[in-house]
Amino acid sequence: MTIRTRLSLWYATIMFISLLVMGVLTYEQFAPEPDRPAKKQAADKEDFQEALANILWCGIPAALLALAGGWFLMRRALTPVAALTAAAGQVNESNLRRQLPRSGNGDELDRLTEVFNAMTARLDGSFQRVREFTLHASHELKTPLTIMHGELETELRDEKLAAAQREQRVSQLDEVQRLSKIVDGLTLLTKADAGQVQLVAEPVRLDEVVRETFADAQILAEPRGVKVELTACEELTVRGDRHRLRQLLLNLADNAIKYNAPRGDVKLALRHAGDAAEFTIANTGAGIPPELLPKVFDRFFRGDASHNAEVDGCGLGLSIAQWIVSAHGGSIRIASAPAISTIVTVRLPLEAAGKTP
Amino acid sequence: MRVLVVEDEKKTASFIRKALQAENFAVDVTHNGDDALALASTTPFDGIVLDIMLPGRDGLGVLKQLRARKNTTPVLLLSARGEVNERVEGLNAGADDYLPKPFALAELVARVRALTRRSGESKSTVLRVADLTLDTISHRAQRGGKEIELTAREYRLLEFLMRSAGRLCGRMMILEKVWDYHFDPGTNLVDVYVRRLREKIDADFEPKLLHTVRGSGYVMKETP
Repeated sequence: MTIRTRLSLWYATIMFISLLVMGVLTYEQFAPEPDRPAKKQAADKEDFQEALANILWCGIPAALLALAGGWFLMRRALTPVAALTAAAGQVNESNLRRQLPRSGNGDELDRLTEVFNAMTARLDGSFQRVREFTLHASHELKTPLTIMHGELETELRDEKLAAAQREQRVSQLDEVQRLSKIVDGLTLLTKADAGQVQLVAEPVRLDEVVRETFADAQILAEPRGVKVELTACEELTVRGDRHRLRQLLLNLADNAIKYNAPRGDVKLALRHAGDAAEFTIANTGAGIPPELLPKVFDRFFRGDASHNAEVDGCGLGLSIAQWIVSAHGGSIRIASAPAISTIVTVRLPLEAAGKTP
Repeated sequence: MRVLVVEDEKKTASFIRKALQAENFAVDVTHNGDDALALASTTPFDGIVLDIMLPGRDGLGVLKQLRARKNTTPVLLLSARGEVNERVEGLNAGADDYLPKPFALAELVARVRALTRRSGESKSTVLRVADLTLDTISHRAQRGGKEIELTAREYRLLEFLMRSAGRLCGRMMILEKVWDYHFDPGTNLVDVYVRRLREKIDADFEPKLLHTVRGSGYVMKETP
């Protein structure tokens, strides 16, 4: 039951009780008294009936009017609460800086809005500090990584290095490179969160990017015996950053190949869909269990443990893909029927639609 | 060839110096921007390796000042920030190349070499390594008189490797020159392409020409 209904019911009950009290008091005042002369008693009775009629004919409409007025007043008083609820429901980590509009009249709700705004501002500050921390941490990690990389390489240049040691250094170098990739990905995403990555906004022929990705995907798929097909490639232009779009498609193609069954299929398609360009990439891999689907875009999400062992990567690829898509004003979805197929669908607004990323 | 390395991190400066000296460069090292400016205006260098984050005057400041003084020494910027925008900013300020940290040493050496011999690059239209030839006009490749079929990408890769014959080519540099990627796309694209190319140009022939330097990159040369 909403506050409005509850208050209105209370209000109606109080009105009804007041009416009853008035009735009882009137009865006390005008009720015919048995010890008065008969003639007076008749007059009293007339007065009594008149008073009752007055109460009925004026009291009930007045009560109804009060009820309607009360309903209206409550509605007026509580509308800002509905607005506040809607606005609070939209708050997430990316729009914490947006403040809710205040009425400025200093009432309780205005106070509530003020407190609410102060709370989101504090939250924004906390998020900001976490982002700055991650950014600083990744910068600080780069110097030691550069040194380790350089020193290992210097050692490897020494031709007198024993084979066993060489193997060990190469393995260490691999790990340093993996760490570097993680740090790079983390830096990029943290900067993207803080809105510090500027993307180019120019017309990009998406079909060209798709064909290029198709060519690279065929090569990447060959060692695994995976077959890559381009089932549709319509001539479409979007507005955006060519390099980032290439990175996006290559990343999705790479995933479709890596997480595929041996001798599986990968199908790419680019089609016109309403006011958007729709790129789909389907593979025939083991798929993703439904309970894990909402998590695939999470940072460092790596699926089940068996994937970790056989497929290398930094666990940030799909998070980066999702960022690229949303930075272009598009959407990315993933659907999977385990052991049958997994389809990733990317929709990007068309250049002709006049939208800017 | 004389190179100035401006890097405040002593260990990094030290292995950069060693690597460049191993390639027969004469190397001067300074750890701050003001010294770098003073040195660069009194000594003619063939190239400058310049870190962006320096105490006092930062790398971009040094670069702008150099260019304002009409000093055209080729500059390779190093940066731990690694932003796409920063690369563009650096090139606009007059840098000749940009390398984000952490980098492979091979990458740095290859870039410094490219920087210092920029003008001296081979202008020949037919590239040759042992009995492998590549015609850069007709895009035809032959080895031992046998025609080799190449896709457009394989051609660009082979052309780049042959133009840098005898020199180590890092993955980042290959990605940049052959794919036009200025950041790591996070796939093993280069390795897979090199493997394919090797099958075409090396599998049926001796000696092998395309060698892997583990952890660093690839090199095209006759002797291993």
